[in-house]
Amino acid sequence: MSKIVVENLKYKYPATDFLALDGISFSAKAGEFIGIIGKNGSGKSTLCQAIAGLVPNFYKGSYGGKVMVDDIEVKNVDISDLCEKVGTVFQNPFNQVTGSKLTVYEEISFGLENLGIPKEEMIQRIDEAMELLDITKYKDRNPFDLSGGQMQRMAIASIIAMQPEVIVLDEPTSQLDPQGREEVYQAVQKLSKKGITIFMVEHNMEKIASYSDRVLIIDDGKQIAYDTPQKIFSRDDLDEYGIEAPAFTKICRELGKKNPVTGCYPVTLEEANDLLKKDKGEM
Amino acid sequence: MDNNKILEMKALHFSYTEGDEILKGLDFVIDERSTAIIGQNGAGKTTFVKLLKGLLRPTSGSIHFEGNDIANMTVAQLAKHIGMVFQNPNDQIFKNRVIDEVMFGPLKIGMAESVAKQKADEALELVGLKDLAEKNPYDLGLSSRKLVAIASIIAMDTKVIIFDEPTIAQDYHGKELIKSVIRKLRFEGKTVITIIHDMDFVADTFERAIVFAKGNILLDGTTRDVFAKEDILKEAYLEQPNVTKLCQSLGYDEVFLTTEEFITYQKAKAK
Amino acid sequence: MKSISLYEEKGSILNKLAPESKILYIILALVLPAIVGSKMVSVVFIAISIGLLLFSKVLKKTIPILGVSGFVLLTVVIIQGLFRAGNVTPLLTLGPVIFYKEGLLFAFNIVVNVLNILLSFCVLILATKPSDMIENFVRKGFSPRFGYVFISVFQIIPQMTETMATITDAQRSRGMETEGNLLVRIKAFLPLISPVVMSSLINTKERALALEVRGFNAKNKKTFLNDEKKSSADKYIQITMILLLIAGIVWRVVGCLK
Repeated sequence: MSKIVVENLKYKYPATDFLALDGISFSAKAGEFIGIIGKNGSGKSTLCQAIAGLVPNFYKGSYGGKVMVDDIEVKNVDISDLCEKVGTVFQNPFNQVTGSKLTVYEEISFGLENLGIPKEEMIQRIDEAMELLDITKYKDRNPFDLSGGQMQRMAIASIIAMQPEVIVLDEPTSQLDPQGREEVYQAVQKLSKKGITIFMVEHNMEKIASYSDRVLIIDDGKQIAYDTPQKIFSRDDLDEYGIEAPAFTKICRELGKKNPVTGCYPVTLEEANDLLKKDKGEM
Repeated sequence: MDNNKILEMKALHFSYTEGDEILKGLDFVIDERSTAIIGQNGAGKTTFVKLLKGLLRPTSGSIHFEGNDIANMTVAQLAKHIGMVFQNPNDQIFKNRVIDEVMFGPLKIGMAESVAKQKADEALELVGLKDLAEKNPYDLGLSSRKLVAIASIIAMDTKVIIFDEPTIAQDYHGKELIKSVIRKLRFEGKTVITIIHDMDFVADTFERAIVFAKGNILLDGTTRDVFAKEDILKEAYLEQPNVTKLCQSLGYDEVFLTTEEFITYQKAKAK
Repeated sequence: MKSISLYEEKGSILNKLAPESKILYIILALVLPAIVGSKMVSVVFIAISIGLLLFSKVLKKTIPILGVSGFVLLTVVIIQGLFRAGNVTPLLTLGPVIFYKEGLLFAFNIVVNVLNILLSFCVLILATKPSDMIENFVRKGFSPRFGYVFISVFQIIPQMTETMATITDAQRSRGMETEGNLLVRIKAFLPLISPVVMSSLINTKERALALEVRGFNAKNKKTFLNDEKKSSADKYIQITMILLLIAGIVWRVVGCLK
């Protein structure tokens, strides 16, 4: 059963003369981790916002096709209703802080207050979300006093507490240091294991390769491919779409090492390690 | 190896508030090699480069540029020698045309109009924005705007150029472009210093890496030597480049920094 | 973090009271003297305000506020005392300078009014968390969007100051002088203010999106994490104040009828 179905989605922003999205069609199951990759300006963020209903309901503009979450057509519901089902995390942790709350704990309550969640349940959800993102220790800190990585985890916790079934993350780690980035990925993976469907936009292909179940390539608003990371990164035409395969894949490709079972090049360190280790012994 | 002392730090201390030292006595020299400063957020990297620019002044110790203590120079005077590209291009762009934005710095440090124009053209050519010179910077995407900011510092033709996180929000093409810009600057005899979190990028582009941790220097050496030290990197919450990790898990003693290096090595061995 | 709010939690009785009680106090302090028609009532309220502020350990924070207005008030006293039209009765002679009774009385009235307004507002502002006040309003049907704008200003303005500092650094790094004579500062204005405006616009759009996906426009009834700020004393305090107000009105009306 598909959680999300996107059918021939087309979209043009107001006052522009090109399609930002041009015929996107795919579906994803509950708990799947979907990576979205492509050049800057290819339409990745627009697609994220289309899944969350911000396109077209926040921006207006011309819209065709449809996005279905379960049996709801995204375009036909208010963003404030849809956000209970689809959560969104943006790139800049700073601009996601509401600025109206004095502590991390209160900050996470913002969405819950808006949704009218009773106080007891609110407290329970906030505690759970902070636990999951490992930010309980900062609960009394001022949101603006956190580091980028902590702030981004707070932003994710704020969304998690609203208990969405789908979470869209638009380059959530680009401003973080390696440790902050890893923390965010670990947290998101936990969510996906709990059955939440994840959409992740990311320029770091090693991360996409090791965390995604399937990967979507977009170029110039068009869907180029939607497949497993192995199949995606084994393609010969990645250059055309401004994508660099993970370092491990590049090495194995040059050395002609394919996985005999899948017929694809390895995409993760572990896969490459297994394949090359045998070789090393022989050489 | 070049051993020119471009910048020399002597017992450099800095703190905003007493008792909470951000930099705890740095002693080192920056030479002509391209240098990456890496480390966790809050390790003191940004504070250090602000000191180089004179935007902050040391609480004790000194910084010498080509032998002269920069304590005797104003920020405006230092701007002729040391350029810095800030992380967020939106913090500097204010002109309506890309070319005017890029010429602003050169004119401010006293270049003649014709020279400034020429330097600006060259800088835009270098970052691949020549065709967009007449555009409004705010009509460009964030990654192109970052390139405008880079060009506007390169055009000032300073001896030292500092980048603060140049690869943030850049895609593959953008990163490759910035790599080539850094290499060209190095070739032209500029000293490039970069604060950066992307280890693969460091391994591929920089000759020297300095690891900052809690206001001290934890490691300093050629990129290869620094990335060989897995344990110390972990201590600073950093990781090795992906290729280095792979080769280490395969049990190689050599340290490989780039995919090309490893592939060449393997192919040579196969023969 | 720096905040532009003057509030400081001291755990005092004033801190514990509902914001409404303190707002009612301001109304009473300003309206009652007018109704009763006596400056002495204002003087009494000034004394009460000082007492309350002293008791809440925030009297010191009124000094900068009074300092600014004190200078203005002093000029009022001098000018009115010396030059007010209708000055006939000399009261105080300092060499060639003569202060007149009429002018000084007039100035005294102004001083009392201003002090009363300032100090009663201090009772609210120095002892009330802004977000508590707005939340209580929202509970009573005030627009949550308006409330948000009001509270966020307290946090977002310090953030903008920080952005401004970064922008200043970025432009100085390009050789721009930002300090010096007026001309230098005027020249620096555009390169500093344009990026501030542009980044604020960009940030505002991004923040609007982030608020949107957190149900900012949800039509259902809002709930609150924090309990309503009020104490058991509030009810009695508010009733007493309303009674005082009514008593003042009655006293005045009866006085007129006589």
